[in-house]
Amino acid sequence: MASVDLRKLTKRYGALAVVDDVSLTIAHGSLVCLLGPSGCGKTTTLRLIAGFVEPTEGDILVGDRVVSSPQRSLPPERRNMSMIFQSYALWPHMTVAENIVYGLKLRKTDAATTQRKLEAILATTRLAPLAGRYPGELSGGQQQRVALARALIVEPETLLLDEPLSNLDANLREEMRFEIRRLHDEYRYTTIYVTHDQSEAMTTADVICVMNAGKIEQAGSPEDIYDRPNSEFVARFIGMSNVVRGKTLTEGRVDFSGVPLRVTNASAGMGGDIAVSIRQHNIRLMAKEPADNDNVVPATVVRQVFLGSSRDYLVEVADGTQLRVVTPSGDAVAPGSKVWLHMPHDCCRALAG
Amino acid sequence: MTLALPGQKAGRQSFKVDLSVPLLLTFAVLLCVLILLPISWLVMYSVTMVDPATKERVLTLAHFRTLFSDPDLVEPLITTMIVAVCSSVACCLVAAPMGWLVARTDLPMTRLIRALVTASFVTPPFLGAIAWEILAAPNSGLLNKFYRTVTGAEMDSYLFNIYSMPGLIFVIACYTFPYVFVLVANALDRIPGDLEDASSILGAGTWTTARRVTIPLVLPALVAGALVAFLQAMILFGSPAILALPAGFHTMTTKIWSLFQYPPKPELAAAASLPLLFLTVMLLRGQQMILGRKGYSIVGGKSGEPRLIRLGWFVVPAMAFVIIVLMLPVFLPYFALLNAAFSPLATTLVTPETFTLKNFYFTFFELSTTHLALKNTFILGAAAATIGTVLALVISYATARKAVRGYQVLGFLATAPLAIPGIVLGVGLFLAYTRPPFVLYGTLWVLLLAYITIELPAAYQQLQSAFRAVHPELEDASRILGATRLRSLIDVTAPLLRTSVLATWCFIFVSTIRELSAAIMLFTSETKVVSVLIFDLKESGDLGAIAILGLSMLVLTFTVIIFVNRIPGFGSSGLRNT
Repeated sequence: MASVDLRKLTKRYGALAVVDDVSLTIAHGSLVCLLGPSGCGKTTTLRLIAGFVEPTEGDILVGDRVVSSPQRSLPPERRNMSMIFQSYALWPHMTVAENIVYGLKLRKTDAATTQRKLEAILATTRLAPLAGRYPGELSGGQQQRVALARALIVEPETLLLDEPLSNLDANLREEMRFEIRRLHDEYRYTTIYVTHDQSEAMTTADVICVMNAGKIEQAGSPEDIYDRPNSEFVARFIGMSNVVRGKTLTEGRVDFSGVPLRVTNASAGMGGDIAVSIRQHNIRLMAKEPADNDNVVPATVVRQVFLGSSRDYLVEVADGTQLRVVTPSGDAVAPGSKVWLHMPHDCCRALAG
Repeated sequence: MTLALPGQKAGRQSFKVDLSVPLLLTFAVLLCVLILLPISWLVMYSVTMVDPATKERVLTLAHFRTLFSDPDLVEPLITTMIVAVCSSVACCLVAAPMGWLVARTDLPMTRLIRALVTASFVTPPFLGAIAWEILAAPNSGLLNKFYRTVTGAEMDSYLFNIYSMPGLIFVIACYTFPYVFVLVANALDRIPGDLEDASSILGAGTWTTARRVTIPLVLPALVAGALVAFLQAMILFGSPAILALPAGFHTMTTKIWSLFQYPPKPELAAAASLPLLFLTVMLLRGQQMILGRKGYSIVGGKSGEPRLIRLGWFVVPAMAFVIIVLMLPVFLPYFALLNAAFSPLATTLVTPETFTLKNFYFTFFELSTTHLALKNTFILGAAAATIGTVLALVISYATARKAVRGYQVLGFLATAPLAIPGIVLGVGLFLAYTRPPFVLYGTLWVLLLAYITIELPAAYQQLQSAFRAVHPELEDASRILGATRLRSLIDVTAPLLRTSVLATWCFIFVSTIRELSAAIMLFTSETKVVSVLIFDLKESGDLGAIAILGLSMLVLTFTVIIFVNRIPGFGSSGLRNT
């Protein structure tokens, strides 16, 4: 079975650890997303797995075979992987068909099989009418599909994708996301997908690893990452979250702007500073003070924008912290008005660090 | 399977040989021999002398004292500075308005004009100087004869005297103005139209915009161009040798050359070479600083096309200006050469009755040295082009792909010869290879070394940008699909680089056959090349043969340039004049 195992993987350039002690097990047939801002080490991790870069410390195993270690690295051509590059890396001097069958030629596949596989993959990727063209004559989306076809035709154990959609326009990007997931479900290879776009990660991945400064901040299902961020970085990076600061009072309560807020996941000691995340659309905005004032924070509206299906509020609480609140489009409250924010305690999540 | 791992690991490890260190060392040593050895000998000679008593070399600064006190040596230094400054200023005065006219106005036929500027660019300056001799020598010059015929002036009166300081400055400027023109025109091409539009929308008229926006933006390119023109004028050997020597004065390059004539004074020549070397390095650094300043580099490609300024009635004087400018380095000299080639006497106009192929016959069948020189030139051109291309290919691969540690050193060494004037390199090679362990003087090898050294920087820069254009992911993509490093070089990189490699080979070849400055220091009777032969024929006054050889050289050069420009995906690129 071709699971991919990273064990304490580290890559240093000089003193800088670009990939810092990363351990991760990717089960056979799953699609894992490495998600993070540029410079977080996700592409280097991918190139380590591909074998273009050799690790400073740690190992990479495919199945139970060590493919990378500081002592010895299998060259990329002997790893039975495929990769889709950010630039697509289509060879401009070969036609679409020549590009696609290149991997089969290297494997000395016989002509009949090659032809059969080529026709199959051309049909799957809807490229059949373009087989004789050169890459320079194709649109971005078509080039993308050629890159996919070229990577998939060799039936790799592992497929690596390096920001494969970043050069496409918005509509095409959405279409190709589902395409990649569909092809993955069809062939069931182990896929490692690098992106900085959280919605891309959400739609395609089984497991998302949020990376920051060379480390994995959090690994989990899209639901985990979205609903239960572990750290301030993840909460902010996944977006649509307010991260506010307060002091722990007792177990499960945080002082925020003078209100003893009930939160989940709190484990820090008494009196310590703590960050709490709450999503913009989980806050309920009320124009009148409610009877039950549990987890209700008074605030003033600073700005209000009508977005069609919703309203986007910027409000300020007593200690000067500003929060974004997304509400249904029905209730309009004028700027300057006093409002009360209900923050359901199971949506207020204390964060580590 | 897990248990078998340790053994497998140890077994494979022993096969892993790091080839990068020996590779780097080999090429570093090779480049050192090419560049550092001659320069070291040059420096060594300039600061030592043979003690008559002990017959041993002792340290001395006497050569430099002589260099800066002997009027025989100080005068050429001053002359060189005057010539370089004047021709540089002349270049700017002509090239800047011309570049602006071509790039920014609705002047017709700009493509043709640019092509003709290229023609003056690739004309070997010594050939241009000889052509101008035919045109404007005081007595026999065609233009002076024409003047006497028209005005009926005295037999010994003349309009132009090319054998003079102004004459020399004029001829040098004719063949260095393209450097300034290309820099200015390219800078103007790159200025986005938006920048000018932004000024117009704020209320500035056409001329105000030109003065306040356009001109300041191209000023760095113009200053850089002026420095290059100065540099070219300073290190040129052919033109001053042809025009200044009959006029009875020297420039630095001709002085260095004459120091090698009997009785040779190699120490003094070495000492005189160092200021040239020093100034060249300084000028190149200055040029880099000016062009590299971030504030002036305009980034972002997708701005609007520049708006062309409508010339209106002004197109007539503008076109006249351009035609006159192009007449001087191209039309008139080419006409003079063609006339000399087919006329029994170079200094009389050919008529249908006097038309003759005698010169042609003489050059190729009677002149004994022609065959030898042609053979040498072709052997050297082909060898320098082949070795130079391979060398540049390996070094640019190492630097573009960061394939070995210390690749920056290789890159630096490969571009260093840019700062060594041809004549200085000639002196250095002469000193380095006339003694054991390398006795190469008198063989074709020393010329080959000179040519490779001179052409390496341009070849390296061309191939490096070619490598940069091949995205490294193209190679990675073939690796991950199962190709070895070598296989992906063969399947992917080689086909993509083929045209650039071919173009580089051609450029080295044509540059080599035009080279004179280094060859003049290094040739012997057995290792004569065509450029040296032309120079020799000039001494014996065989203008017809010179014209034939010069025109053949030009035809070959233009053929190669047109061929290279036809290769898809390859634009025109600069040649280096020496």
